[in-house]
Amino acid sequence: MSLKKQDDMDHNAWLKKQDLTVIETAFLTTLIWLDKRLRIVDYLELLETMYYRANMQMPKSHTEQYDLDNKFWYWYPLYSLGSLSIIAYLVAAVSGALLGFYYAPSTAGAAAQGDPTAAYDSLVMIMTDVQFGYMLRSIHRWAAQFMVAAVFLHMLRVYFTGSYKEPREVNWILGIVLIGLTLLFGFSGYVLPWKQLSFWAAQIGVEMALATPIVGEWAAQLLFGGFTLGQATLVRMYILHVFVLPFVVTGLIALHVGIVWVQGIAEPH
Amino acid sequence: MTDDTTPMTDGGTDEEARTDGGPPATVPPDDETPTWTERKEHSSGLAQLTYQYFERSRREDEDLRAESTYVERDVLGFPTWPHETIRNLAITSFFVGIMILVAALMPAHFGEPANPGSTPAIILPDWYLYWSFGLLKLNPLNPSLAVLGGNIAISNEFLGILAHGVVFGVITLVPFLNKGSARRPVEQPFWAAVGVTGVILAFTLACLAVQNFFPISLDLLLTLTFMLPVAGGIITYAVLKTMREGYMYDLNRRYYMLRPPK
Repeated sequence: MSLKKQDDMDHNAWLKKQDLTVIETAFLTTLIWLDKRLRIVDYLELLETMYYRANMQMPKSHTEQYDLDNKFWYWYPLYSLGSLSIIAYLVAAVSGALLGFYYAPSTAGAAAQGDPTAAYDSLVMIMTDVQFGYMLRSIHRWAAQFMVAAVFLHMLRVYFTGSYKEPREVNWILGIVLIGLTLLFGFSGYVLPWKQLSFWAAQIGVEMALATPIVGEWAAQLLFGGFTLGQATLVRMYILHVFVLPFVVTGLIALHVGIVWVQGIAEPH
Repeated sequence: MTDDTTPMTDGGTDEEARTDGGPPATVPPDDETPTWTERKEHSSGLAQLTYQYFERSRREDEDLRAESTYVERDVLGFPTWPHETIRNLAITSFFVGIMILVAALMPAHFGEPANPGSTPAIILPDWYLYWSFGLLKLNPLNPSLAVLGGNIAISNEFLGILAHGVVFGVITLVPFLNKGSARRPVEQPFWAAVGVTGVILAFTLACLAVQNFFPISLDLLLTLTFMLPVAGGIITYAVLKTMREGYMYDLNRRYYMLRPPK
């Protein structure tokens, strides 16, 4: 590249040759001034391309090409399960953030075995004292149930329509990872109220971890904070549920959908 | 794209398959942009190889684009706004509404506070983990899996964890075992039967997890846990094989003629 000034790029001379109104001249001068510094034209082209991609230049889809519209729309509900799980995930995220304002991840306050702990009491407070608190917890719980159900049915749909086939193996594996993480989401959330079933579900989790050779004890300490359940377990499940998993799962969902976007939807044949 | 009479994949010809026009897809380089060849000459080693590959792949892309009969047309699907957006909003509102309705009608259950000192009579996870809990109750199978002189080779708990590994491993392997362009269950009855077997197995394992509620002996329950899925798979296979005949005409007409099997 040379730094020599090039004459055919003299926009001001070109501007003078035109017969323009004051407004047009002012606009063009500003545009040229900005464009020389920021190359706006590139971004305008990008915007224009995006606009046309979204609105005008849809490639002819497989269903159109092979005249399968009627079949596709008949099965449409099964093809919306992926988005439904994302919607349920969002509802659970919003209601969960609201629940987080009131929840306390602590086993303090129990004088004897079987007494209510701070975590349990905070849930009782949410359900009895907080305005709409009972409804909020109910919505959070049902959103989780709907998400898990939608995710399982989504996997069945993908399996029985062969959508996992050849170019899409990576997304299938990513989906298996996401199902595992969804179940972990459900499990960690199940432990948080620290009621009887929460405690004994976590107990089974610890026993499963300890039964695994080599990595088992390490996993039990990492996930459950030791071999017996207590304050450490509750805090770890809480951080897993409200900090680690939301970031990881949201990122993986974005990747999952991104790959679908790049590879195209595996339409029915 | 040079020959106007070449039939396109949808049966039309180039005459009707024309875009709006507009600029070419690739921007020609200006005089001062070094060509790939020039860049290649200035480099050596791995960089040179990289440039050589880039040049090849770009030429390949151009050739493919020249040969392609891919058609772009104006407005072939629903526009994003308003059609697609309104439909998605409707589906979303409906689904969220159903969730809130169910949450209001069936509020979440709340139990006793945790007590490490007293084990409840029935320990169960949420329904979606029943299958996993069922896998943990396979210990009656353990002796029959022993290989070394009747000794139990692995602990009962670890057997359940291994079973999880097997389940996830098998599901992961599916796309590497089943390839090809077939999509409908009738086209490949075997894989549909495998899927049905898996679904029924998930349900029977869930039944195994809540075995206390079934007034039948554990032996029978275990047998049913594994025989029912197999029976379901066989029935699926038979039904799909039979249905296949009926589908043949339609499949041949609109599918195999357009996309010949490999």
